[in-house]
Amino acid sequence: MTDPLATRSMTAVARALRAQTLSPVELVDAYLERIEAGRDLKAFITEPGADARRQARRAADRLAHREAGALLGVPIALKDLFATRGARTTVGSRILRDWVPTRDAAVVTRLRQAGAIIFGKTNLHEFAYGVSTANPWWGVARNPVDRSRSPGGSSGGSAIAVVAGMCAAAVGSDTGGSIRIPAALCGCVGLKPTRGAIPLEGAYPLGWTLDHPGPLTRTVADASLLYQVLSGRPAPGRVRTRGLRVGLLRGSITDRILPGVRARIEAAARELRRAGLQVREVTIPELAWTVATQLVTLRAEASAVHARWIRQRPRAYGTDVRARLQLGALVSGPDYAMAQRARERIREAIGRVFERVDLLLLATTPITAPLIGERRVRWRGAEEPVDGTLVRLTSPFNLTGLPALSIPYGAVGRLPVGVQLVGQWNDEARMLAVGRLIEELRQ
Amino acid sequence: MAVTERDRLAAAARAAGLRLGSGDLDRLLPAYKRYVALVEELSAYLTPEPVGSND
Repeated sequence: MTDPLATRSMTAVARALRAQTLSPVELVDAYLERIEAGRDLKAFITEPGADARRQARRAADRLAHREAGALLGVPIALKDLFATRGARTTVGSRILRDWVPTRDAAVVTRLRQAGAIIFGKTNLHEFAYGVSTANPWWGVARNPVDRSRSPGGSSGGSAIAVVAGMCAAAVGSDTGGSIRIPAALCGCVGLKPTRGAIPLEGAYPLGWTLDHPGPLTRTVADASLLYQVLSGRPAPGRVRTRGLRVGLLRGSITDRILPGVRARIEAAARELRRAGLQVREVTIPELAWTVATQLVTLRAEASAVHARWIRQRPRAYGTDVRARLQLGALVSGPDYAMAQRARERIREAIGRVFERVDLLLLATTPITAPLIGERRVRWRGAEEPVDGTLVRLTSPFNLTGLPALSIPYGAVGRLPVGVQLVGQWNDEARMLAVGRLIEELRQ
Repeated sequence: MAVTERDRLAAAARAAGLRLGSGDLDRLLPAYKRYVALVEELSAYLTPEPVGSND
């Protein structure tokens, strides 16, 4: 049985801690119990240990003295690619299995300043370069909804920890969909903010121009609060959602979608219309070039990060990541330049659509959680690699840097479906407001 | 003698300073072919033949 305390929203937990109707020690114990019970899910590379209880006791003292802090005493799990001073940071690899950073990443500093308890380091795809979190060194992560299925990735451990009640919320990173994909497949909220809104300093890079840190949470309100803490931006004012213009994305990258997933997106569009938003269909044919553009850009950038190790110690990588990095080393300068030209065209095309709408609406992933080890998706008359399928609807917004939010919206069978909203540059406020509305309409 | 995609991959890998064995080449070849095809499509989309070119 899941302890209801362990699955309470982060905002509710923070409120109860401030009101002192809940103690951080009690909360930490509830999460530790869930971690113990769900160890087979492989959510953590480094579980929260004795230090978490020490932090909880300190937070209890500070709460008793009415000290300020938006997240005072709230346990937040971190994807194990954010540097933590004095605590091992493996980036899901064998190469960095003993790396103990001397400084905190910027997001860790901001969490500590807000009073959060740093609550363990979560599992990820090796070096964040993949979307299965089938980690050859730290364990194959499993979806808490169905253990035979993948949680997605690369922030798979963070999504598992949120959904399985192992922390109040988690921080992940997203280079082609790595926050939103596991959020959608496991059934939680995932926010990839505007590029640059949350600092990357101290986050181990995958693709320098594509990486975005962001929250994974149980509710949109939680994502909004964690975003404020991580970005240092003030809480958005009240947003009126009635009358907002929503573009339901059709064609190109949305042509191949599981019927059950498509039905959920259509249902969300209908509900938004009923709630007074203007929903219209939009097409962006240039998105058809996303796959090639993302592939060339990411391969080149990741290969640059790993230039030395992939040449000197190729066997120190798992098979799939080694292959991606070796292929990346073959990307030519002209190929990379061409991809950046295509990226600009995609950005311009989306910009033109955003002259007519305030937000885009589409699925987060075309499929629900695949079986662990499943390699290909069969569509009528075609096949597609599972990893390519999973990033197809998310990666355009890494290339453009636009904010995007995945919200759970029902299921196909038992498997969760994520609805994705995309906002205009730095317009998290309207995106989060409509996200909250979608969450209410679902209930 | 005809140059195969596998030969091109091997040459590109050598030029990039990668140490690839025969098994590595076989493993990478399908993905390399897909990559080359994608880049050709992208190139055709971005750089159409100039109208009236004499070349």
